[in-house]
Amino acid sequence: MPRNISQQWLHGFLDLCLLCLLADRRDYGRGLVERLAEVGFDEVPGGTLYPALLRLEKQGLVRTEKEVSPSGPPRKYYELTDLGRATMHERRGAWIQFRAAMSAVVEAPAARSGRE
Amino acid sequence: MADDWGMLLFRHLIDAGIEEAEAGELTDDALAEAAAAGVEPGSMYGPALTYAGALARTVRQATRHAAPPPRRRDAIVLRLRNVTKRYRRRQVLREVNLDLRAGEVAAVIGANGSGKSTLLNICAGLTRASSGTVQRTERIGYAPQHEGVAPLLTPAEHFRLFGAACRMNRKEAVSVGSQLAAQLGWRPRRNVVASHLSGGTRQKLNVVLSELNGPDLILLDEPYQGFDQDSYVDFWDQVFRWRNGGAGVLVVSHMLHDLDRVDHVLELQPVGES
Repeated sequence: MPRNISQQWLHGFLDLCLLCLLADRRDYGRGLVERLAEVGFDEVPGGTLYPALLRLEKQGLVRTEKEVSPSGPPRKYYELTDLGRATMHERRGAWIQFRAAMSAVVEAPAARSGRE
Repeated sequence: MADDWGMLLFRHLIDAGIEEAEAGELTDDALAEAAAAGVEPGSMYGPALTYAGALARTVRQATRHAAPPPRRRDAIVLRLRNVTKRYRRRQVLREVNLDLRAGEVAAVIGANGSGKSTLLNICAGLTRASSGTVQRTERIGYAPQHEGVAPLLTPAEHFRLFGAACRMNRKEAVSVGSQLAAQLGWRPRRNVVASHLSGGTRQKLNVVLSELNGPDLILLDEPYQGFDQDSYVDFWDQVFRWRNGGAGVLVVSHMLHDLDRVDHVLELQPVGES
């Protein structure tokens, strides 16, 4: 269960975030969590992250590859497929529209000043 | 610790109807990832039971999206015309009308005492309407909330018994029953009798039995808590799978989610004395 409101929000946008991060470069699970934390999100629990990655894999949006690591067991790397890249572009367009609409409502001067 | 968690995860995945090979792979992946990060899997993924639930839902949804079956919408499988029910002077249902076609879902909603279960029983032919007409297709499946399973029989024995009623042989009945159960994320254990199943699992048994004969019309009661605490959504997944398979489905709904996806909403009003 998400603990606070921003975690709940991220829950809804996690797939898009993962697609965008993977569009920049392939990565493994922990690497994705760290990159999300770097930009200011709370740490995404593994119980949320890995089912999301599995979902993207099942939808054919990412493919995986196991790679031996110099220290310890092999790591599973995630990489966008062509379908994943196309989906990422499509959803990013939808997000930009959505964000504009949200901003218009939430950040509008009327909403800030608490007009009745 | 990690081994115990892994064992639990594997077992819960199997219980949730995931194929053994895939369950093994998912478990290995989870353990490898935790080992690589140098943490206990329990602190990385949370309890094995919840994590197994999340993975199983993902896998099931993926297989559902993989092959969207064609949607048929044709013959009327249930027609209610001015159906009224009274017990002595107390009116329970007043002039209920519905045309439900193959490939459609109707949700019946209403407060307690508004006659939802009475209507379900009338549709199944177990209760007579006081007036009005009920026409329906011959092959129906019926899964009421509280009855229909024999407390001292195992799921497999139920499959054989109900299979016999629609002229299936024993082996076929158990095989079809087990397949239907797996679709609901349930793998019946041998030697566990129905009275020892949880409420949600008993309702899954009910639903499997109602579906054994490949009915054209399915009448059922939505489980109060979903099939499991955690998988409420799976009940409706199954309802829409039946619809996509061409059955007409009438659901008595106790929770008011998901109604935007159904084809008909029948709202019953408590009528009371008249």
